[in-house]
Amino acid sequence: MTATATQRRSSEEQASGTSAWRRRVTSEPAARVTFYITAFLIWVGLAAMFVRVPGPAAVTASLVKEFSRGEVFSNFADTFYRFAVGVFLSVVVGLAIGVIMGMSGLARAFFESPVLVGLSIPAIIWAFLTVMWFGFGDTSPIVTTFLTAVPFVIINVAQGVQGVSRDLRDMSSSYGVPLGRRVKDLILPAVAGYVLAGVRFAVIIGWNGVLLAEWFGGSGGAGFRARYWYDANQFAGFAAWVILFVIVIVVLDQLLFERAARRAFRWRDAGH
Amino acid sequence: MSNPVIEAPPTAPAVTWQEGEQLARRASSRRRAKRLVLLAAGWVAMLLVWNVAAYYLPAGVLPSPLEVLIVMWEIVASGAFAANFFASVGKTFVGFLVAIAVGAPIGYLMGRYTYWRAFFHDGVTVAGTIPALTYAVLSLIIFGISDLGPILSVALVSVPYIAINVAEGVRGVDQSLVKMSQAFGRSPQQIRRDVFIPTLVPYIFAAIRMSFAVAWKVEALTEVFGGTNGVGFQIRSEYQLFNIDGVLAWMCLFIVFMLIIERLVLRQFENRVLAWRPEERVGR
Repeated sequence: MTATATQRRSSEEQASGTSAWRRRVTSEPAARVTFYITAFLIWVGLAAMFVRVPGPAAVTASLVKEFSRGEVFSNFADTFYRFAVGVFLSVVVGLAIGVIMGMSGLARAFFESPVLVGLSIPAIIWAFLTVMWFGFGDTSPIVTTFLTAVPFVIINVAQGVQGVSRDLRDMSSSYGVPLGRRVKDLILPAVAGYVLAGVRFAVIIGWNGVLLAEWFGGSGGAGFRARYWYDANQFAGFAAWVILFVIVIVVLDQLLFERAARRAFRWRDAGH
Repeated sequence: MSNPVIEAPPTAPAVTWQEGEQLARRASSRRRAKRLVLLAAGWVAMLLVWNVAAYYLPAGVLPSPLEVLIVMWEIVASGAFAANFFASVGKTFVGFLVAIAVGAPIGYLMGRYTYWRAFFHDGVTVAGTIPALTYAVLSLIIFGISDLGPILSVALVSVPYIAINVAEGVRGVDQSLVKMSQAFGRSPQQIRRDVFIPTLVPYIFAAIRMSFAVAWKVEALTEVFGGTNGVGFQIRSEYQLFNIDGVLAWMCLFIVFMLIIERLVLRQFENRVLAWRPEERVGR
């Protein structure tokens, strides 16, 4: 047998063997930057390939134009008002029903089917129905946001309440702990993370709902403005609004909820 | 052999074990019956609310469940439902296959290498939060009004779910098992077939379950915006005629059959494929 084993190097030697620029290129921040550059290039490529896809230059130009016309802030003000009211309502109602469902198995059996049906109705249906019911105005986007978001809040809250330690609940009831303290010291900490997850879902789903309802209901708002450009066959204007939609939801989700979720689950993840 | 010390206690227990079992069984069946009644009550309450609302609202605003049911029957009897439904389902599944073909390699890279995880991380999280409306209209802009639009939007919306789950699965592969297989001289191919794939399959099913629930809605949405056939297209035509009962009838049919596919067909298939691992079989 000839010696087949090649000279093995320790990982430290390997690390010092690779040059500094190479290590920098393969680092994680570099990967991120590479991704953004690649995505941008793909966009440019798509714009070159399909006539209908607007390129970055055209989109930036119409974005600037929309800002200078003052359309962005006035429309987003409308949208945010409707979105906030809808999400708030869905959280309030979702919390109430979710807590009842989590506390009793019988309530769970009763609400199970309505929630399942609610989960499976697409937002577009609510948008159509509410526009036909309430006409153009604030009501249709608010109700659409509420109806699309509320089942997600309910299932998350119910799951959280159900997950509250049975032993601790039994103990506090046999020691006669008053309801107020039971809620404050036992239920709330255990449920907070799930409620947050529910609200987060509600925000993501509701954002789609509010835009759809505005798209079909003709009374202003970000969705309506995007449709205006789409109907005018001005896809650069539409793409500018898409970028705004995406920025809003990503900022909300990443900056607000990602952080809040980490805080709410601190007690659980601390051991890791 | 008989030892008097460990014989049965002189006082007989209050109930024999047979009686105890019978009591427990009766209690559990009573609980199940109560649950079933409440489940039915949930449906009845929903229909009742709908019916009462239909009765009190001005005529033409909200048709009653019965009227919708009649329209549903007409749609099914005319054969329009089967044609449009299969068109929609076909597009959904083609989009799904595209999503798996794209998402699985991305997920594999993400699970395997830290570089690719960092590379794709932002894209996948952003893609997962973008409103479905965007996907629907963007795919229409790219492909115009054709069958390719819904396929693309289904693929776009499903890729992040599949990538995330596959990445999770690849990271979940038991490394000590891989090392042991290598130590015993198994070929990479064998390791792939007997260690990697079995670990991955449950994650892929989770991905399919999660994204299917979203995918068919996006598919219908895209058809609403610019389809030539399919359930979404029919909903749109009814909406344009201001036929609320038509919209509701198509919606109810679509939801019922999609839930059948989701809950029964996919779950059955999953149970069959995963039958070898008893702990995964518990389908809620």
